[in-house]
Amino acid sequence: MSRITEHPILGVKEEKKLVSFTFDGKDLQGYEGEPIAIALKANGVMIHRYTKKEHKPRGLFCAIGRCTDCVMVVDGEPNIRTCVTPLKEGMTVQTQDGVKAM
Amino acid sequence: MDRYEVIVVGAGPSGLSAAIEAAKRGLNVIVFDENDKPGGQLFKQIHKFFGSKEHHAKIRGFHIGEELLAEAAEVGVEVVLGATVIGLYSDKEVSVRIGEEIKHYKGDTVIVATGAAENMVTFPGWTLPGVIGAGAAQTMMNIHGIQPGKKILMLGSGNVGLVVSFQLLQAGCEVVALVDAAPKIGGYGVHAAKVARCGVPFYLSHTIKEAHGTDQLTGVTINEVDEKFRPIEGTEKYFEVDTICMAVGLSPMSQLLKMAGCEMEDNPKRGGQVPIVDEYGETSVSGVFAAGDVSGIEEASSAMIEGKMAGVCVCGYLGYITDEEKDAELLKLEKDLESLRQGMFAPKNRGKLIEKTEEGIDISMNLLKKGYVADDEIERFPGVVHKVGVHPVMECTQNIPCNPCQDACSKGCISIGNNITCLPFIKEDSNCINCGMCVASCSGQAIFLVDEDCGDGTATVTLPYEFLPLPEVGDKGYGLSRNGEKICDAEIVSVKSVKAFDHTNLVTMKVPKEYAMKARFFKCS
Repeated sequence: MSRITEHPILGVKEEKKLVSFTFDGKDLQGYEGEPIAIALKANGVMIHRYTKKEHKPRGLFCAIGRCTDCVMVVDGEPNIRTCVTPLKEGMTVQTQDGVKAM
Repeated sequence: MDRYEVIVVGAGPSGLSAAIEAAKRGLNVIVFDENDKPGGQLFKQIHKFFGSKEHHAKIRGFHIGEELLAEAAEVGVEVVLGATVIGLYSDKEVSVRIGEEIKHYKGDTVIVATGAAENMVTFPGWTLPGVIGAGAAQTMMNIHGIQPGKKILMLGSGNVGLVVSFQLLQAGCEVVALVDAAPKIGGYGVHAAKVARCGVPFYLSHTIKEAHGTDQLTGVTINEVDEKFRPIEGTEKYFEVDTICMAVGLSPMSQLLKMAGCEMEDNPKRGGQVPIVDEYGETSVSGVFAAGDVSGIEEASSAMIEGKMAGVCVCGYLGYITDEEKDAELLKLEKDLESLRQGMFAPKNRGKLIEKTEEGIDISMNLLKKGYVADDEIERFPGVVHKVGVHPVMECTQNIPCNPCQDACSKGCISIGNNITCLPFIKEDSNCINCGMCVASCSGQAIFLVDEDCGDGTATVTLPYEFLPLPEVGDKGYGLSRNGEKICDAEIVSVKSVKAFDHTNLVTMKVPKEYAMKARFFKCS
């Protein structure tokens, strides 16, 4: 999905520092401090996890840390709400399957 | 266990307002909020607010948020972020999860301002990635600067659905349809009209039948419903979309109050499970107050006043102000709140079908069903008049508590009348100088400056424009009707962007004079 480079009301976003992270082993980039989910979205990632019983895909839904649809395995720890967890250089992000990494 | 005179739960508009009132009178106040930034949902609100000066009218929500934070800092309000309140007990003990720790605090008073959570509706495919809440869309585009999707269907025509649809257009997304199962648009007509004139079709009495896709959303089928909300077979319509936004109401997040033993009720007019409170927000548990959406869904402007009331009340409760001082403050706040709760969208009118304005004029049925006032309906409203030379045309057709237009005109051309909800009209002997302040001040973007006859067979229409790219003088294109259809050729003759307009640019287009009262938007060819 596209980042908004210039907004009619909010203007031009101040440039933040680009950092690298991995998503399921792939090298991706995002802005430091933005939610992991936003960096993933900017890279076109829609599926964050699969449900345990029925193996159904889930993605970003509420974006404010309430619904838990967007939880993933981050730096080895499962159930991390990626919509409210800031991105840091070198993070390892993995699609979650049930309660573990895929 | 640390003790505070006032513990506020939630650093949104209501909680911060409450904390400011208490802190500025010398109480020691602490505010807990689970988010990593204060301000609640205010920073996602990029539209201009309604109301009057006291309600921060014509100021954009995020600017109100900045003002609140500055005021809170000035009076020394302590805000703890990343702090989730997980327990509230009847003796006003509060358990807070901060990081991996759980801490306990004791309050002499507690103000719960936890706000509301979004409602959802379910349909086959609703769990697919790509189906999101309208709040999520706002968070993505207005806070994090990313488009929620490219092609979007909005479900819900209340103010949230309408405002977020407009914001999606501002973010460069395409809104393919605005759908609501109700037979009439729930939000302000002016919000609907600014979406409709961009060409977004409204489907009232429609709901989502099914969302399509295996790994992610690829499309959606809607169908019409009858008066009992049963699907009507054969009315299916398919849209290719990558995103569905749901804006189907809010529910108070009142669990903490229930936990504290406050008397609760199910009140559909307030949005669900709410505490029973007195007129200033005190619950059945002495010293525990509720303010903002948690005690009944309204909007940020009223939440701020309710917060102030609770703040004043705790000052009185703890003896920091006399009863006389408290009553005087509350009386003033009550007046502000009462003026916001007027008009056809007032809480007391929820669910009622209102067919006439306070002035006795028939409401535009087209506005309620399709999002725009039809050409043959617009002339009956008092803000729509014909005059020689440039003059304002105010397409304000519903009684909403709002009056910035009246104050915006330095020549005194515009009057609201005695009541803040009345429809604006042009005073008889007025002399418009074409300054455009009224156009930029109208939070509903419903005012246009029109010169119906420039003498050469053309007319000019000045309209509010909040999109990019901004047209330039000499640009040729089309005049769009109130429902976004191309109806005539148009050429841009003036573009004004001054600081006082606060990003509402004034674009003037020249159109054939027979379209002076019909063309309301511009599209570049």
